Amino acid sequence: MKDTGDKLLIDVGSTYFKICAGDSIEQYMRDFNREILEDLMAKAGQLIARYQPADIRVCSSANGGLSALIIGVTRTFSLKYATNIAFNAGINIIDTILYQDIGNCSLPSDLVDVVIIVGGVNAHGGLFSRSLYRYMEQLQYSNVVYVGTERDAAAIQTNIPDVVVLPNIIDERLHIVEEHLKVYLTNLYQQDIEGKEDIKRLYEITANQIYSTPYIVNRALPVIDATFSVANPFILLDIGGATTDIHYSKDLVEDNIVTENGYDRLVFKRLGVYKSRQSLILAAQGNEFTYELLTHLKVTENIFKEQGERATKVLMQLAVFLVLCKMSHYRQSYINLKLLQINSIVLTGGITKVLTVAEIDVIIAFFYSKILTSDHRPVAVLDSDYAIWTLGARGSY
Amino acid sequence: MKVVTGVVGNDIHVVANRLIDLALRARGYEVFNLGVNTHLQEFFDAVVETGAQVLMISSLNGEAEGWGREVRLLRSQYTNLDDLIMMIGGNLVVGSGNGEDIAARYRNYGFDIACHQVDLNTGLDMLAALLRERGIQ
Repeated sequence: MKDTGDKLLIDVGSTYFKICAGDSIEQYMRDFNREILEDLMAKAGQLIARYQPADIRVCSSANGGLSALIIGVTRTFSLKYATNIAFNAGINIIDTILYQDIGNCSLPSDLVDVVIIVGGVNAHGGLFSRSLYRYMEQLQYSNVVYVGTERDAAAIQTNIPDVVVLPNIIDERLHIVEEHLKVYLTNLYQQDIEGKEDIKRLYEITANQIYSTPYIVNRALPVIDATFSVANPFILLDIGGATTDIHYSKDLVEDNIVTENGYDRLVFKRLGVYKSRQSLILAAQGNEFTYELLTHLKVTENIFKEQGERATKVLMQLAVFLVLCKMSHYRQSYINLKLLQINSIVLTGGITKVLTVAEIDVIIAFFYSKILTSDHRPVAVLDSDYAIWTLGARGSY
Repeated sequence: MKVVTGVVGNDIHVVANRLIDLALRARGYEVFNLGVNTHLQEFFDAVVETGAQVLMISSLNGEAEGWGREVRLLRSQYTNLDDLIMMIGGNLVVGSGNGEDIAARYRNYGFDIACHQVDLNTGLDMLAALLRERGIQ
């Protein structure tokens, strides 16, 4: 890792700017009536002016990222592998379609940034047919990439205009091959940033590539114990204004994915306390334990209608609870983690400015006793000065 | 001829799994080995991904009994597995029982061949005979 003591690190979040110079980190609430660069310069222009573009490093989670739709032939191999790669490349997945059901699937109403089609080992062929091409004809998308069996590549190229064909992400042992698709998606993310005027203008202050924030955070995980007293294994929850990211080590997954990366990422796109406040409340209302938890926290459901510090605290606590539920067997989602094995839960993002360790411990205790019926209590660790982001940002150039 | 194989459920009998892998390859099959601790859905999904004609499940610690009951229901959710030949072998029950009765029970679960405590080569001969009978090369 390079010494970056004289570098300026900037994170453009959905709600805040964070700026790190030396050991000092400042945070500024964004003004959504102004362009990002204009807003940033108004708040920290003098500081930014002291640095050369080569010494300024910017990452962003504010441009919404790319949306992906994945079409695969099975849930436990093709869809799961492509989902895993997309998450790790910083892509938001709007839906996954099991190919055999494609005839009954509705079309997304919004334009999809990238469609990923996957299925089969190279020794197999003839998996895709007219039903795929019909669906693609009706779908609105900007990019499409095929990463399935090479035997079907020619037919796919004939029938889907402008499709990019990459090597299969499933090898002959049914293991995942990440690299080609990951590079493609990461480059697409980069092009997307460059195409979005708001973010693109940030290149006026930096000569370095602008990365997605989750990518930067993920880079910090292998060296996280250099900064924190974290007992392995751990999970990292990045709960912010718009989304919640969970980073976890692979050995916590009961899964058939074997990759070279030590850590994976999972995103809950509509789980935040600012931009995604309403969807968080909806998710909470759909969880049968929510009302018991609210009682436990000595509030009623009227808290959902309130604004202010108390309501934000409770919503943050609910977000922690819902995320833990989503990673447990109680609410089966993309992946289940071995939550009884984790020793630390590291929290970063906006949540660290709102909740104390004690307030998080209450939720952890409630979750483990009610959902997992266990006395196990992982230790909550707060990254209240965004040290994980700075660690990742410093190591990633 | 492609075969998907593995050990079903929470069962870590890797030696038997390896022997099956070797024996299948020695007989000329193209083997996709999912290893131990494999869930039922992974077996069927692997068949879809590979285009395997045969699914050969092994079980050594009695896990098959519970999983076996799910086979028909799960298989019915796939649109393209009608011609799949399904075989299961190993120690298929907890405790003891009559081999023929146990095999009949597993055939009722949807397996074409069930071998309870049957020698591996004998089981593979049974598979070869079934393939010949169905005219599959």
